[in-house]
Amino acid sequence: MTSWWSTRSIRVRLTAWYAVVLGLMMMVYAAATFGAVRHEFFEQFDDQLHEDFESAEGFLAPAADGRVTWSGDGRHDPDNDEDRGSDVWLASGEQVYRSGASSSLPPVALASTTAQPRYESITANGQRWRTLTGTTLVGGRAVVLRVSRAEGRLRTQLWEILVVLVLGLPVVVVLAGVGGYALARRALTPIDHLATDARRITADRLHERLSVPNQHDEIGQLAAVINEAFARLESSFAQLRRFTADASHELRTPLAVIRGLGEGALGKTRTPDEYKEVMGSMLEEVDRLTNLVDTLLRLSHGDAGTVRLARSAVDVGELASEAVSSLGILAEERNQRVTVDAAEGVVVAADRLVLREAITNVLDNAIKYSPPASSIRIRVYADGEEAHLTVADEGPGIAAQDRQRIFDRFFRLDEGRSRASGGAGLGLAIAKWAVEVNGGRISVDTGANSGSVFHIVLPIRRSPIAADSEHTTQRMGEHV
Amino acid sequence: MRVLIVEDERKLAQVVASALQAEHYDVVVAPTGEDGFFRANAEVFDLVVLDLMLPGRSGLEILQTLRQRHIDTPVLILTARDGVDDRVLGLDLGADDYLVKPFALPELLARIRALLRRGRPSEGLRLKTADLELDLVTRRAIRGERLLELTAREFELLEYLLRHQGHLVSREMLAREVWTEPRRATPLDNVIDVQITRLRKKVDGDGSARLIHTVRGVGFVLREAEP
Repeated sequence: MTSWWSTRSIRVRLTAWYAVVLGLMMMVYAAATFGAVRHEFFEQFDDQLHEDFESAEGFLAPAADGRVTWSGDGRHDPDNDEDRGSDVWLASGEQVYRSGASSSLPPVALASTTAQPRYESITANGQRWRTLTGTTLVGGRAVVLRVSRAEGRLRTQLWEILVVLVLGLPVVVVLAGVGGYALARRALTPIDHLATDARRITADRLHERLSVPNQHDEIGQLAAVINEAFARLESSFAQLRRFTADASHELRTPLAVIRGLGEGALGKTRTPDEYKEVMGSMLEEVDRLTNLVDTLLRLSHGDAGTVRLARSAVDVGELASEAVSSLGILAEERNQRVTVDAAEGVVVAADRLVLREAITNVLDNAIKYSPPASSIRIRVYADGEEAHLTVADEGPGIAAQDRQRIFDRFFRLDEGRSRASGGAGLGLAIAKWAVEVNGGRISVDTGANSGSVFHIVLPIRRSPIAADSEHTTQRMGEHV
Repeated sequence: MRVLIVEDERKLAQVVASALQAEHYDVVVAPTGEDGFFRANAEVFDLVVLDLMLPGRSGLEILQTLRQRHIDTPVLILTARDGVDDRVLGLDLGADDYLVKPFALPELLARIRALLRRGRPSEGLRLKTADLELDLVTRRAIRGERLLELTAREFELLEYLLRHQGHLVSREMLAREVWTEPRRATPLDNVIDVQITRLRKKVDGDGSARLIHTVRGVGFVLREAEP
C-alpha cells in the first residue's frame, strides 16, 4: 500500500486526497441534510395529523338519542382519500364511525386512552400509519377519536431525496476528482518544465539558467533557489577548472625543464663539470616539483577537511615575533625593517604551527614585494571578541579587483617576478586556508601609505579554563 | 655493515643500493615481499630498509613477524603514504625510523648512519674538521686562530654540518633538525640559503680554504677539499 502510494505522482496523490476528503465531507453533509429534512417532514406530518384531529372533532355532534354522530364533509370519506382515516369510539367500546381508509387498522385499546392526545406509529397490512389518538367530550359524553395518515407518500418522498443524495455523491466526487486532477496538473506543470530545464543543464552548459515564470510564487522561488545553486556550482566548476589548468601548468613547467636539460645534456659528450651542472639543475626542478606536490596535497587535505588540528592557547603577539625572528634574516638582506607592535595577552585557541604558517606566509609575501629599505609593520590587538593581526607593507599595493583573487591558488600579480622569487603562487592560498581552518578570516586592503595591509582576524579565546578543558578533551579524542 | 633493502620498485632499489655501496655498505636487495620476508628471517643484517607497499606480503607484515621473533635489527620504513596513522602504525609495530617518498638520498644516508650509530657512545664535546673547531660546552667556534662570532642559529647550523661532515645535508634535513620546523616551506628555504651564505662568510671568509660547499639541487656539505 505504502509502496503503491509512494510511487504515484504528486498529481495523483493530490487528486486522491482531494477526492477522499471531499467524498467524506459530502457524505457527512448529505447525512446531516437528510436527517434534518426527515425530521422536518415528520414534524409537519404530525402537525397535519393534529389539524386532522381538530377538524374531526368538529364533525362530531351529539345526537338526540344520546349517541354521537359523524357529519363528515366528505374529505375523510373512504372514496376521497385512502391515505387518511378517522375512527370514533364511545367509551363503552362501541364504534361510532369508521372511515374506509382506516379499515385495516386495529381498534384502539380504550383503557390506555388518555385525555392527552398521543401519537403512535402502526404497521398494518404492510403499510405504515401514523395515528393521533385522544378523548374528547361530545355533548357531555366521552368519545375516543383517532385520526390516521398513511406514511407511504412521505416515505416515498424521503426515499427519493435519499436516492438523489446517494446517487449524486459519487458523481460529485468523480467530478471533483477530475477537476482536482486538472487543477493539480495545471499547478504542477511548471515543475515539470523546471525538471526538463534542469535536466538540460549539464556540466558543459552550466552557464544556462532555468526560466523563472513568476518570481513571486512558490515555483518562481524554487526556480530562483535552483538557479542560485547552479550559479554556485558553475563558479566552483570554474574554480576547479582554473585550478586544474594552473596545477597542470605548474607541474608541467618543471617537468619540461627536466626533460629539456636531460635531452640537451645527452645531445653531445660533455665534461663532468657540465654534467654536474645539468644534474644539479634537474634536481632543483625536482625539488620544486616535490614542494608543489606537497603543498597541493596539503591544500587538498584541507579541502577534504581531513586535517587534524592540535588546538591550544596561542599568544598571537608571540607567534608574530616568532615569525619575524624566523624570516627576519630575509628582510635584513633587503635592508627592510620589520616592527612588531603587539598588545599583550591576545590569546586565541588555534593550532600553533598552522597559524604560524599563515603569519609566515603573509610576512614572506610582504618582504618579497616591498621595496628594499622600506619598513613592514605588524600590529596585534584585541577588539572585543576578536584578535586582529595586521601586516602593513610599503609595496605597490594590490588593485581592488585582485584583492579577492590574491588568495586563490596559483594567482600571481606579476607572473615573471614571483616565479623568479621561487613562489608557485600558493603562499597566500595556504595562509588563507590556515587562518580559516582555525576559525578566522583573512583579507587585504590598501594601507594609508599606498602599500597593502593584510588583515587576519581570529575569534579570541574566552575563558582560559574553558578553553583548556576543551583542549584536553579534543586532544584525548585525537589520541584514541 | 650488511643492509637489506626490501623494495619492489627496481629503479629505486638500485639507486638506494648504489648509494649505500658508495658508502661501503654490504647491500642485499629483495625485490618482493616474500623474498624480503625470507631473507630478513633467515640471514643476519645490521639494518633493514623496508618499503611498506609491496606485492605479496606487505612491509608491515614483515616488520611484525620480525619483531614477534625477537629479531631486533633496526628497520627504516619507506612509505609513499604521508598519513600520520601509517607512520604511527609503523613505529608502533617496531620500526625505528621512517622516510616519506620522495626522499632525498643524503637524508636516507644520514638516517641510516644515525640508526647504526645508536647505542654507541656519542662523540665528544668537541667537533673538529681541518682547522675548524667547535666547543659544544662553551659554544665557541674557532677557525685557525680566529674566534668566529656566530649567532645561536649559525652555531647550531655549523654544529649540524660538522656532525655530518663529509656527507651531504639537504635543506629538508636542515629545516627539520636545525630550524625544528615540521615541514619545509618556500620561505624557510630562502632563510636557509641566506643563513648558509652568512655562515660561509664567517667561516670561509678571510682567505681560509673553503669548508662549506653548496651542491646544486641537493644541499650542502662540509668538507676539507673541493668535491
